[in-house]
Amino acid sequence: MSRIAEKRAELPAWIADALPATAAAPNDIQSAAREQITQWGLPSLRDEEWRWTNLRNLSRQTLVPSAGSAVAEVPHPISAVLTDALVIEFVDGQLKTLPADLPTGLTLTSLEHASPEQRAAAFAPAATTPNDALLALNTASAQQGVVIEVAANTVLTRPIVLQWQDGVVPESFSQTRVSIQLGAHAQATVIESVLGMNQNLCWRNTVSVVTQAANSQLHHLSLGLDGDHHLLTDRTFVTLARDARYHSLNLQLAGQLIRREIDVNITDTGAHCDLFGLMMPRGKQVLDTHTRIIHNAPHTTSNEHYRTIADEAGRGIFKGRILVAQDAQKIAAFQDSRNLLLSDQAEIDTKPELEIYADDVKCSHGATIGRLDPEALYYLQSRGISFAKARGLLIVGFAQEIIDEAPLPALVDWLTKQVTRRLGGTTVAE
Amino acid sequence: MKLLDIKNLHAKIGDKPILRGINLTVNAGEVHAIMGPNGSGKSTLCQVLGGREGYEITEGTIEFEGKNLLDLSTEERAVAGLLLGFQHPVEIPGVKNIYLLKEALNAQRAAQGLDDMDTFAFMKLIRELVKTMDMDDAFLHRGVNAGFSGGEKKRNEILQMLLLQPKLALLDETDSGLDIDALKVVSDGINRLRGADRGIVLVTHYQRLLSYVEPDFVHILYKGQIIKSGDKSLALQLEAEGYQDFLEAAS
Ligand SMILES: Nc1ncnc2c1ncn2[C@@H]1O[C@H](COP(=O)(O)OP(=O)(O)OP(=O)(O)O)[C@@H](O)[C@H]1O
Ligand SMILES: [Mg+2]
Repeated sequence: MSRIAEKRAELPAWIADALPATAAAPNDIQSAAREQITQWGLPSLRDEEWRWTNLRNLSRQTLVPSAGSAVAEVPHPISAVLTDALVIEFVDGQLKTLPADLPTGLTLTSLEHASPEQRAAAFAPAATTPNDALLALNTASAQQGVVIEVAANTVLTRPIVLQWQDGVVPESFSQTRVSIQLGAHAQATVIESVLGMNQNLCWRNTVSVVTQAANSQLHHLSLGLDGDHHLLTDRTFVTLARDARYHSLNLQLAGQLIRREIDVNITDTGAHCDLFGLMMPRGKQVLDTHTRIIHNAPHTTSNEHYRTIADEAGRGIFKGRILVAQDAQKIAAFQDSRNLLLSDQAEIDTKPELEIYADDVKCSHGATIGRLDPEALYYLQSRGISFAKARGLLIVGFAQEIIDEAPLPALVDWLTKQVTRRLGGTTVAE
Repeated sequence: MKLLDIKNLHAKIGDKPILRGINLTVNAGEVHAIMGPNGSGKSTLCQVLGGREGYEITEGTIEFEGKNLLDLSTEERAVAGLLLGFQHPVEIPGVKNIYLLKEALNAQRAAQGLDDMDTFAFMKLIRELVKTMDMDDAFLHRGVNAGFSGGEKKRNEILQMLLLQPKLALLDETDSGLDIDALKVVSDGINRLRGADRGIVLVTHYQRLLSYVEPDFVHILYKGQIIKSGDKSLALQLEAEGYQDFLEAAS
């Protein structure tokens, strides 16, 4: 940034005042981050990665740091579906329970009790520009979180569920950090499920750091299905070693503002990532995902499908960047963004961004924004199905192709029901 | 009893008159075949009966079981017992076939004041029908017509028809693009619907279908009018001699 750049807005006092002297990050990293966030303030529309997403509403609030007194309120709905899940419970960003009797090869450590090595790994990604201000804020502040380690050659059959109940205490905010480390040939499924509680306003700023050793495989789901008023800013860093495979399913239906950023660094040959996403903003919701995939090695592949269904005055944002580094030949990168506008007030912004510095690259991308197909509506109506039902079937159908990417059949069924319910329809049981 | 009674029907698309005075009566128990050269208005007639948007009815009346069909929406026509088999069935990826079938059946039951069919009974019924159509159960779980071959799409239309048991089935070129085995399966399906209380209208280009499903009446539609009607021998005559003589006689 040049010197003559306009002055940035100051970090709101309620955030600045809550910055701790030390946190879970190693001390030098924490204090550097603290300096960055103090200098940068929150991201603004002038920052390239925030051009479409305004945090002004957030900075005008006065939220209080969550203290840890809140207790979990409801049994999480997903536990009824995944009965064998290993559930890690957070309430307002505070770790409440770690499951007992873990399968061999799985270690769960509260961030508070993490070793210096575990902390170093959890806080490895460094902020470099004001676009990363929330990362810096998190590094400077996070004390709560969990370290999930899956030992080499361990195949976990039970899914790990991180359940985040946010807003139990109204007008609170929290900073959390999750570290997921997979050893060579390990396989795991981690499902993060966020519940905005009691329609309370609240904000959680979280960062996940995923590191996958050779030939490991992770299914990582982020489910935002309930609550209208919470804000979530969530950045996920993924580093893939040789032949590692990362599969992300990002399903966002709830919340006032959800901003997800997924950064995948493919560092070695044979590695692959799948990024699937479905966002369904309505009301005045802003649901935003920015993904960045870096192909840093030859013979690597990525596959990305994002869909947005925007109704009422909802706003969906998808920006997908793919960077192919020099010398990274034999790359195949596929990206597709399909979007459905259901009302005149709804808005969808979608933008692919390809930066390719190698020449032997197969890269395809496409983006469409459309309305429901009248031919398909008529066909369904000609079978006696009412307009409203036909519309619902088509919308769920549009979403279904993304939902089908969920790893477990029981989860696919349940998610289909959630989306159908959200559309005000009844489910079609089989 | 009159199921369908079309009198002097005129319809246009935009400024273009397509149907120019159609008269057709279908009684319960009858099978009618409508033949005619490409572009003569056969599909247009079917779509007007189905209630598709974009057609303007400028003259004439259509009664279905004595009620004004034009007063009913597409879905009301369907639940009243009219089923349209599409010449080009629409592909709807993402919406599973089984969902369409179940919603369609339950919509019809709701109109008759019945509760939704029990899932178990529904699955049993649909599996039997799938078998009779020589289809695989996997079709139920695929998107509606998505990636189906031409023949598979047409079987799917008949599958829907057999499930919904319409009073009047209007089948637009359901036999086109079928190989001989598929044609037999589709014809058997149509014959199973045939009955004293039902009517069937087959739009076709080929006598071949009519040797499996014997019609009571055959009509030739040309330039939006029925220019000749007869019994099944008319189709044989058409097959042997072509349209030319009929068209010349008409103009
Ligand atoms: N959407 C439309 N806009 C304008 N003209 C149309 C439209 N649809 C059909 N037509 C015209 O209406 C006429 C009748 O078409 P229709 O599809 O009903 O014929 P058809 O008898 O079913 O023919 P085929 O045997 O080829 O299926 C044709 O001239 C056709 O080009
Ligand atoms: Mg036609």
